Amino acid sequence: MTSHTLRVIASTTKYNVIMTWRFFSWTGFALRFATPLMTLGSAWVLFNYVYGGRISTEFGPAIGSSGYLSFITIGNAFYVFTFAAAFVVGRVMFWERATGTIEATFMTPMSRLAYMAGIMTAAAINALVDFISVFLIGLVFGFQIATFNVPLFIVGLLLTYFALFGIGLITNAITLTFRDRVTTANTLQVLFMVFSGIVCPIEFMPLWAQAIAKTLPLTYGIRLTRASMLNIGTINATSDILMLILLGIIYFVVGATTLRLIERNLKRKALFSVF
Amino acid sequence: MSMRVVLAEATKDLKVYFFSSRTLFWTLALPLANGLYLYFLYLPFAAKSVDLQFISTNRRIDLIGFTVVGQLLYTFFTMMLLAGAAFDVERWQGTLETVLLSPANRIAILLGGALANALNYMWMLVALVLSWVAFIRINVFITDFLALSLSFLLSYLAIIALGMCLEAFFIYSRRGSMIVAWFQEPIMFLSGQVFPLQSMPTILLPLSYLLPLTFGLIAVRLTLLGGATLTEVAVPLVALAIMAVSFSILAKLMVNFAERHAKAKATLTMF
Repeated sequence: MTSHTLRVIASTTKYNVIMTWRFFSWTGFALRFATPLMTLGSAWVLFNYVYGGRISTEFGPAIGSSGYLSFITIGNAFYVFTFAAAFVVGRVMFWERATGTIEATFMTPMSRLAYMAGIMTAAAINALVDFISVFLIGLVFGFQIATFNVPLFIVGLLLTYFALFGIGLITNAITLTFRDRVTTANTLQVLFMVFSGIVCPIEFMPLWAQAIAKTLPLTYGIRLTRASMLNIGTINATSDILMLILLGIIYFVVGATTLRLIERNLKRKALFSVF
Repeated sequence: MSMRVVLAEATKDLKVYFFSSRTLFWTLALPLANGLYLYFLYLPFAAKSVDLQFISTNRRIDLIGFTVVGQLLYTFFTMMLLAGAAFDVERWQGTLETVLLSPANRIAILLGGALANALNYMWMLVALVLSWVAFIRINVFITDFLALSLSFLLSYLAIIALGMCLEAFFIYSRRGSMIVAWFQEPIMFLSGQVFPLQSMPTILLPLSYLLPLTFGLIAVRLTLLGGATLTEVAVPLVALAIMAVSFSILAKLMVNFAERHAKAKATLTMF
């Protein structure tokens, strides 16, 4: 059983990596950098031209480091990486339905979760290019790495992925039920972009926004990545890791359960490929 | 004849998209989220206001108002761009060839889509502005209603005209959506939506002045939030009027060229 699951993950990963590079689109690839470039550019103009290099005196103590542009670069790089990798999962069922393969996919005996995990792994491999590219772009805007705590970085990344995988499963369940094209995935994307603390420490946000931020795995993932690269001592890494584990379990259980229930319901009502 | 095409296209689009999940996302969720994102971008600087300067006019504008108005106008711009996706939708549906075989004026089709999108968005825009004024206490400061009305009207016309130029890409290329999506972030950056235009690096300013959104943002922000008069915003208003006329002419030429090219190469419905 475990061997079969691993084979599904490996074959799905291989197939998706090949497909991505065989039909590689430069315009689509470049489009993924539009938002981070705009954010980095805007932050650079605000920092250098509008406010002449002056930031709030509370900024340094809040994040434990005063490197504003490094702070923004890491937030964006992590966001681009996780977005490129994790949100592919949220759109799996939409594309299966659109290409007319959804019924065939669900007739196979393979584990649905293994199939989605394979797609996510392939996306993560491809997204490494995005991740490194944003850091290289960040160098132009003044990104400076203070240290690199590899174990903390990897733990933060893997746990964030796990939690986002759960959210991807929930998104698929919604897509399957409501025939939604991409609105759910897009809405989730902007939710993550706004409230995960990409452009400012969440302590600076209004209380209601902080409450939303605390339910998003990306918030903790970005904090851990910043802690691992900017040598931030004020962040409590243990509590962030525990929160990521907790959120990951909750999202995964909810996602896997709803997907299974919805699959059963759609099969019973013969609604898989009905538009 | 053209008016009937405009009305028919607008009616169709209103029936299909009014209060759909697509409209709600593009007109409510995305602008709200982007507005917040831009507002949060300013928080590390502990800023409460922004200095907005254009030629000899200089006003200090409330930060929330600055980002909210910027985002609303930008969303309006995006909606106008999406209006022309009409050709893309027709292609997906397999009806593009039929539409372009009809004697309907192509510009009228685009104007119909733009009108529907404006109506789809306008009621939400008014509701949002009123609610934000009431609940967030945005400091609205208007001294010249004529200047404000002209700022909105000319921005609307110039933005539609540029939008129609871009729509030629939807006929010309299968990558029309991608090309238009490509323009969005650079336009956000160059138009001064995120930060005041006087802070734009000088080398990029010529590109900023090619965009109607740039002048629209200056005129609307100054008249709605800074109490500027008609004389003070005369330059951006004249620029908007010139753009509205010149982009309209250019749009007609570009759409005709794209249609001729696609028909000659038989690429209207090819995927």
